[in-house]
Amino acid sequence: MTLTTFAAHAVEATKIYGSGDTEVRALDGVDVSFPAGEYTAIMGPSGSGKSTLMHCMAGLDTLTSGQVFIDGADLGALSDNELTLLRRDNVGFVFQAFNLVSTLTAIENITLPADLAGADPDHGWVDQVVGTVGLDDRLSHRPNELSGGQQQRVAVSRALANRPKIIFADEPTGNLDSVTGNEILAFMRRAVDDFQQTIVMVTHDPSAASYADRVVFLVDGRIVNELDGPTPERVLDMMKQLGA
Amino acid sequence: MFRLTVKNFLDKKIRFALTTLAVVAGVTMIVAVFTMTDSLRASFDGLASDIAEGTDLTVRTVQTIGSDLDRAAVPQELAETISAIDGVAEIDPGVGSFNTVITDGNGDAILPSGPPTIGTNWSKSQYFLTAGDIPEASDEFAVDATTAEVNDLRIGNRYPITSEVEQREFKLVGIFNFGAPDEHRSLGQTMASFELDTAQDFFGLTGLYSEIGVRVGGTESVEKVQAATAAAVGPKYEVVTSEVIEDETQSNFASIINVFNTILLVFAFIIVFVAAFIINNTFQIVVAQRIRELGLLRAVGATGKQISRSVRLEALIVGVFSTIVGIGLGVVGGSGLRWMLNTTGFTLPSGPIQLQPRTVIWAAVIGIGITFAASLIPARRARTISPVAAINTDQRLAATSLRRRLIGGGIMTGVGAVSLANGLFVASSTRATLTSMGIGAVLVFIGVNTLSPSFARPIAHLLGRPIAKLFGTPGRLAQGNAARSPRRTASTAGALMIGLALVGMAVVVGSSLTKSFLQTLDNAVEADYFVQSRVGNFNPSAGFSQEAATRIEELPEIGDIVRYRFSEDGMWINGKAEDLFSSDFAKVTDHLNAQIIAGGLRDADPATSIAVHSDPARDLDLAVGDTLEVTFPDNETETLSVAAIFDDASIFGNWMVDNVVWEEHINSRQLGFVTATIAGFSDDLPEPEQEQLLAATATALEPVLESFPSVKAENRVEFRQGQQDQLNSFLAVIQVLLALSLVIALIGIANTLALSVFERTREIGLLRAVGMTRRQLRRAVRWEAVIIAVFGAILGLALGVIFGVAAVVAIPDSIISSISIPIGVLLVYVVLAAVAGILASLFPAWRASRMNVLEAIYHE
Repeated sequence: MTLTTFAAHAVEATKIYGSGDTEVRALDGVDVSFPAGEYTAIMGPSGSGKSTLMHCMAGLDTLTSGQVFIDGADLGALSDNELTLLRRDNVGFVFQAFNLVSTLTAIENITLPADLAGADPDHGWVDQVVGTVGLDDRLSHRPNELSGGQQQRVAVSRALANRPKIIFADEPTGNLDSVTGNEILAFMRRAVDDFQQTIVMVTHDPSAASYADRVVFLVDGRIVNELDGPTPERVLDMMKQLGA
Repeated sequence: MFRLTVKNFLDKKIRFALTTLAVVAGVTMIVAVFTMTDSLRASFDGLASDIAEGTDLTVRTVQTIGSDLDRAAVPQELAETISAIDGVAEIDPGVGSFNTVITDGNGDAILPSGPPTIGTNWSKSQYFLTAGDIPEASDEFAVDATTAEVNDLRIGNRYPITSEVEQREFKLVGIFNFGAPDEHRSLGQTMASFELDTAQDFFGLTGLYSEIGVRVGGTESVEKVQAATAAAVGPKYEVVTSEVIEDETQSNFASIINVFNTILLVFAFIIVFVAAFIINNTFQIVVAQRIRELGLLRAVGATGKQISRSVRLEALIVGVFSTIVGIGLGVVGGSGLRWMLNTTGFTLPSGPIQLQPRTVIWAAVIGIGITFAASLIPARRARTISPVAAINTDQRLAATSLRRRLIGGGIMTGVGAVSLANGLFVASSTRATLTSMGIGAVLVFIGVNTLSPSFARPIAHLLGRPIAKLFGTPGRLAQGNAARSPRRTASTAGALMIGLALVGMAVVVGSSLTKSFLQTLDNAVEADYFVQSRVGNFNPSAGFSQEAATRIEELPEIGDIVRYRFSEDGMWINGKAEDLFSSDFAKVTDHLNAQIIAGGLRDADPATSIAVHSDPARDLDLAVGDTLEVTFPDNETETLSVAAIFDDASIFGNWMVDNVVWEEHINSRQLGFVTATIAGFSDDLPEPEQEQLLAATATALEPVLESFPSVKAENRVEFRQGQQDQLNSFLAVIQVLLALSLVIALIGIANTLALSVFERTREIGLLRAVGMTRRQLRRAVRWEAVIIAVFGAILGLALGVIFGVAAVVAIPDSIISSISIPIGVLLVYVVLAAVAGILASLFPAWRASRMNVLEAIYHE
């Protein structure tokens, strides 16, 4: 496998907070890669470093040592501005909440990264994405006129609209009821299956993780296990084994 | 709860700083004005007693009306009478005249810059030589130390000096301090001193003294000598003690200072009012931002009362703190203000800065008062916060309903408008007019500000449209953010609105005044040339010499001239002091068309006639041929008959007599203004011939103007331009002062934006995460500021235009006859407001762009 077939990967990724007695190793020499077109879930108990890993991989945070790459580009070598442009053009985000800019309409939120780039969004593609999530009739609404589930659908649409190299999702269904949550997860699954999108999702919910192709388990800043073709039961077993 | 409030404060230093800034600015301004004028008053009082020292009694002509400038002189013989009185040790005759202008070594006139240019005889009691000798010969003079230094006048050199009568050359022999031997207690006046006989002759006061100082000696008491002197000189003259002179001098100074004080205080209060808007706004935002925290307090058991009390307590702390800081800064600012005024041409005496208890009380009442008042509504709102707010992130403060807002704002605006109208059209005294207008304006401002949130959203959208078009997503976000909280946008803009409403009003009134004046000039002026002091026309302390006019009159190129004089409160009619204008009745109507509607001046008997403007003629029910009793400053009463009634007051004022009457009753020989015709000139001549005549006249005038550098002569085009420039620079001064309130408004915008940015931390984090660059983020904040600022500017200028038009309508047609709304100038102010918005956005934009993306996204 050559490097470029990974949408993103990390080498010896280490993140240390504080120093001396209060030193916390949030990431302790993590090597991980996310192949293109794969749906990966990152799991682990609270404080395991799963969010830190995601933030560092996405260019939102910097490593203490080691390297992370997105599409072959070493994030550590990029300036703040270059990182911003990389996020804009190559990374999609779905957060747990507060995903949308409240002054913009749904469609403006969806095309936000393209608009920020001053580029004309790929209208055919955006229409397709919007059609798939079933948002056609809500596009001119503002976030506060949408339900929580609708807001998350807009967020996922935004992440997809720019055809990024990789999408990072941080507990995307954490604030939703299970029916709505499953809709979102199914939609993300389709994005991988139908559109060959790469997705990395941080979650603590075994049933959410079961939508992924692979689950990576993190404990104390280290990758301790991986699971291919997860089911909720297997994920739960694994978590019990890890004492989480 | 108290400890929590205080702790809460220390935690949020920036919020605290932002809240206090506006109050501090207001208090600083008030304290600065008071300390400056108080210290001026203190040094003037000291000066007044210095001036009065040295003589025990002063003999002078009784004057019941008019300014001291017009007091009639006493005959020289009186000095001998006084000398013979028992107990008079020494007499000190004084001869003085205004408008004594020295030409410096470069041929430039030393012109009055506020304080006058005075000529006197040598005063033994008040002048103290620092170099050279006392002037003794008829071609010698001495000058005060400051004037000598500033204008590089050197002992031994000869300088031309112009009196109200003529021009002569004198040799500088001495330099002196005024008031004290080792310190020149100057108020900025220029003082030239001559030998007594020379002074009399030069000032046109031959055989006369302005007043006679008396020193009492021997065993006689001052009272006794005073009584004896009074009996000896007769009822036409009075004998006053040095205490009276000191009181008079003090009250003269005080009246100048009070005018000063009032003007500056008006501006200070405008600033305080603007500051109140900002504080209110800040508290509203702060309470809105703390809604979760306050909800939590409610959840753990704090009562609504306790919550609102904590908000008021916070306001109290801000008020007290800002007042203390403001007083400190104000004392510094007082010196700064004095320095600023000194650099703009005033010469104010130095002396320790005075911080009086009165100043501190005012500062505290205003600083703490407005802060506390501004917190009342936010505090009441905070009371309604429910404990659920602690958990529910979407909780908002209950906003005043639109209906209540419309009704409240509408009523307030209406009452304000009525009060304004009452001030403009009904109120009779100046005080009532100003009070009524002031209250009206304040109510209208608050009313419009209450109403404005209901249209802030659509207008912000509209203003944002081109910005969103031009600047893409950052522009679109700016538009959205400006429209997002209409209440906040409106009240932030409100601070700007006040300043710009005043500017707009000044612009409309000023431009209408200019337009009316120029129309008058174009319609009413037949003369071809205009001669006046460089300091301006009809300025009593800047008149010019008769000789200048005589020399111009003698030029063959000049047809004839008309001399005009002016004295403030120069006569009494029906027990009321009136301004007195004089000119040459026989010729004046050939030079100026005053729109005489009844009678005529050409054939009127100059010694017994008076011309009246139509307004006073109507008020006093006067018709041509009616007679009037007029009392002049020399206490003589004349019976004058109304020869003409005119409609245009722009040059004639309300009352005009002939120069013959003036010279009979008023000492001063100064001229206020001269109009001249060019021999053979007519508007019907072909253009080249006109040009030729104008050029020939200009050449002929050159040598005259060279010897009288304080005088300028202008043809019609130049005069028109000069008048326009003068009005414009006057307006510029007002606008600069009002612009101070814009600076405070700027703080308000910066304040709101900083708090808004803080409030939107999460959203900013999200935007940065999905790829907004720092530059784009700064741009979004910047254009949001521009939209808010332009909204405020448009609102303010619209109000200002309405105020201005109302004022123009209320001002008599004789002064302003046509309305002019200079759109171009108003647009410049919109652009300036936009620039101010950009400036205000710098700090908040910078802060926004420096936020840590990750922390911002997960900000609670």
